[in-house]
Amino acid sequence: MIHVRELTKAYTDLERGKFVALDRISFYALPGQIFGLLGPNGAGKTTALRILSTMLRPTSGTASVNGYDVVTQAAEVRHQIGFLSANTGVYDRMTAWEMVAYFGRLYGLPEDKLEARIDAIFSRLKMNDIRGVLGAKMSTGMRQKVSIARAIVHDPPVLIFDEPTTGLDVLVSRSLLRTVAELREHGKCIVFSTHIMREAEKLCDRVAIVHRGRIRACGTLAELREQHEQHDLEELFYQLISADSKLPDPRHSPLLEEYRG
Amino acid sequence: MNWTNVRLILEREVRDQLRDRRTLFMIFVLPILLYPLLGMVFLQIAQFVHEHPTSVFVVGGLPEAPEPALVVGSRFADELFTERADARLLIAHRGSALQLLNEAEQITHPQGAAAGKRNGAAPAKQAPDLAAKATSTPPAEPTAAAIAAAAEKLVRAGLYQVVVYFPPEFAPQLEAYRRSLSAGAPLDEQAAPVIPAPQLYFNAAQEKSQLARARVSEVLGQWRTKIGEQNLVAGNLPASAASCFRVVSHDVAEAGRREAAMWSKVFPFLLLIWALTGAFYPAIDLCAGEKERGTLETLLSSPAARTEIVWGKLLTVMLFSMATVVLNLVSLGITGLFVAGQLPQFGPPPWSSLLWLLLALVPVSALFSALCLALAAFARSTKEGQYYLMPLVLVTMPLVIVPMAPGVELTLGNSLIPVTGIVLLLRSVVEGDYANALPFVPPVVAVTVGCCLLSIRWAVDQFNSESVLFRESERVDLRVWLWRLLRDREPTPSVAEAVLCGVLILVIKFFLSFAVAIPTNFAGLAQSVVLSQLLVVLAPALVMTFLLTSNPRKTLLLVRARRWTLPAAALLALCVHPLANVLQRGVLKLYPIKDEVALQLESLFSGPANLWLMLLFVAVLPAICEELAFRGFILSGFRHLGHKWRAIVLSSVFFGLTHAVFQQSLITSLLGVLIGYLAVQTGSLWPGMVFHVTHNSLALLASRVTAADYERIAPLRWIANLAGERGLSYHWTAAALAAWATVSLLYWLHRQPYRMSPEESLQEAIDHHAAQSLMS
Repeated sequence: MIHVRELTKAYTDLERGKFVALDRISFYALPGQIFGLLGPNGAGKTTALRILSTMLRPTSGTASVNGYDVVTQAAEVRHQIGFLSANTGVYDRMTAWEMVAYFGRLYGLPEDKLEARIDAIFSRLKMNDIRGVLGAKMSTGMRQKVSIARAIVHDPPVLIFDEPTTGLDVLVSRSLLRTVAELREHGKCIVFSTHIMREAEKLCDRVAIVHRGRIRACGTLAELREQHEQHDLEELFYQLISADSKLPDPRHSPLLEEYRG
Repeated sequence: MNWTNVRLILEREVRDQLRDRRTLFMIFVLPILLYPLLGMVFLQIAQFVHEHPTSVFVVGGLPEAPEPALVVGSRFADELFTERADARLLIAHRGSALQLLNEAEQITHPQGAAAGKRNGAAPAKQAPDLAAKATSTPPAEPTAAAIAAAAEKLVRAGLYQVVVYFPPEFAPQLEAYRRSLSAGAPLDEQAAPVIPAPQLYFNAAQEKSQLARARVSEVLGQWRTKIGEQNLVAGNLPASAASCFRVVSHDVAEAGRREAAMWSKVFPFLLLIWALTGAFYPAIDLCAGEKERGTLETLLSSPAARTEIVWGKLLTVMLFSMATVVLNLVSLGITGLFVAGQLPQFGPPPWSSLLWLLLALVPVSALFSALCLALAAFARSTKEGQYYLMPLVLVTMPLVIVPMAPGVELTLGNSLIPVTGIVLLLRSVVEGDYANALPFVPPVVAVTVGCCLLSIRWAVDQFNSESVLFRESERVDLRVWLWRLLRDREPTPSVAEAVLCGVLILVIKFFLSFAVAIPTNFAGLAQSVVLSQLLVVLAPALVMTFLLTSNPRKTLLLVRARRWTLPAAALLALCVHPLANVLQRGVLKLYPIKDEVALQLESLFSGPANLWLMLLFVAVLPAICEELAFRGFILSGFRHLGHKWRAIVLSSVFFGLTHAVFQQSLITSLLGVLIGYLAVQTGSLWPGMVFHVTHNSLALLASRVTAADYERIAPLRWIANLAGERGLSYHWTAAALAAWATVSLLYWLHRQPYRMSPEESLQEAIDHHAAQSLMS
């Protein structure tokens, strides 16, 4: 469903010089599964997901979504995915209903089916009471609901969630995770990034632990436990990352240290 | 492009803007309130300006009656003013020279009353007292220099706006003059009494003083005329002898045309200003605002293509730009009607002009909207976006204001300048000068549409550039940055480095042009060519190549040329020369060169200097230097853009700009495109150099052909006529043949395999897939 091979993304940054945000990462995700990208802040998760949703172009390597290449067939890829970003991306001066309908139309849903589809989603996500509320007046939880509704309005086979639980309280975050799990039941291929191990543990079928632009470990939860001989996943995550952090950051070109040192 | 998506985005953005209070205020409320308020303020200020009296110090003795009176009481005589009401605006203070000195003294020593007394002078407050004393013991008359110094001091200090000084001899000499006239004897110019000139002191740095000077000059002029008339009467001639007839002027402007002339200057200006303002704020909100609120990411991941997003937003911005203009004009019109009732010199605008304005509104709004959108897309936040308004206005203003200058007419040359062309055309049609305006409609429309498309293209590019869309604020440490720049070199320069090189060349050229005198002979020419080529063109390019790139050979395209490409380049130059010649004559017809410049250029090249030396300086040296800079460093940098034609055109724009004369720049830019194409297709710098040398040599040789040469060399007569004293102008048949040969050669070049830059290969892959998905 999603195939990522040797994906590399390098930026040129005024201060850091050439910065390799992603260094040859490869993974795959299958329909009916949730694939977790797990890593601390700034590990490169958002960059990877932005490449998958065609907003960024990789420096090298390839990625395909449902058989379409993200660089050369970007338009097709965008029809296959529903993307949810960390900042909810809800228009301030639009109501919940208008927002979802707007994206439904952009995805090319016919007008006669649009209303029924939105109605169904609104009931399912229990957001009928915020239909007419403007984005500016919504709480973070409401905004996240609207974003989910917007992302699934066209019933895409692939869903990409970029740290969706950031800034949500326990109640809302639980209900969101429940929704994601439900979407898996409907056979969606879901990529889910987070920096909270508990979420990944609860939700994901397979995870990749990303740190400093590289995949440190990848597999099902059971595989990871076995490989690293550590039952507690949180501990496993912490060990992997802290061992890594003692080494110099490979993403910077060495000259910065040279200059400073 | 999917127009349904464009429509969806347009509808959303319009609704979004209409729900925004700031936009509503800027576009709907402000214009409705602005003009009535402005009108009110204008009327108030107009009154205030008229009410401003100025004071004048009149020093020295004035002639007694029967001469006409100059000053009556504290005013100049009423009958000396054309508008009698103006008399009360000039307050006249009469006083002696001594009083003048006292007042001046008071400025330097405000508390120095005692000191003043010791010097035998009293402060001004005691002037009557002093006048009484003065009658008993008249003090010595101050010198003219002392009076001038005192007058200067008083006027500079602003105590009086003008000081008029009548020398002591003025009144007696005037009387003597009159007496000698009335004696009846014919007056000898030599023997006539000389009347010393009254001195008028004013301060050109003060507006009020300038105003007072104009008023006083008018009054004095009238007074002199009256004295002249009395002189005539004294000499037994009628008073009317000096002005024995009147000139009556008639205004033949048709009713409404005079108003049209005024409105024709006001309307285009307002149209452009409000179109820009109306486009700017929504554009910022639509792009930078969306980035700020994080909704852009969502939109970009939706199926709406970047082009569709840009078009949707562009149409929204255009709509608001046009609405702003229309509302402003309507509001101005209504206010204008009321103000026109108050002021007879203003008439209402002709209604037909409004129709033309509406017609011009569409392209103007489109152009500004696209520009604003591209700028706004670049901005990270709305705040940063606001910063870009000023540079945009600074660039646009001259294009709007220059055509409003008196004497700038609609010509083909002017009509080809963006914005300026529209303003001039609009002015012509508002004035009702349709016959004159009509021929310029196609060029203005073509230029405007071209600019619109370019701006839209720019906006789309901005939306395609991830470094623009996902810009984050970065900390800048200059030393680290420079360090990185030198150590992290790529094989070839980046686009930014190419732009920097081009700009650097232009800047050095600008400053060098002041340092080096314009050459007048061949030695001077040689010197200036060497300086400008080595220092201006070559040096920046070479320095940047070795500092900023890791592969100078690849950057400067110093690669062996493939077989046949060198002779092909020479042949191409041979075929292009007649075309360039025809083009040059066309350009010179459009934008005639100033005579002195033309003469100067001619004298440089037709001198008696050694032909080979001349070829070295005019053909070989520029070919080497300019090719290394423009087809080497700059073109290699621009090829990272991902479109070879864009790279070629941009590099040749810089190539053209480095040529001093505008007419020359135009032609060299086109030649630059050709040479750039040669460089891209052959992958080597050498064919371009061969072309450049050949072309410049041919141009030089052709300009040196004399009548004798023309008679002697038969083939010249087959292909060309002699143009003027020297130089050739090709026959049409020769030019057509050359055109055919050029096209064939270009086709051959087109068939040559060329090496794409990584960005160009990627772009091709994307375009290829897009074309395939369109077909399926």
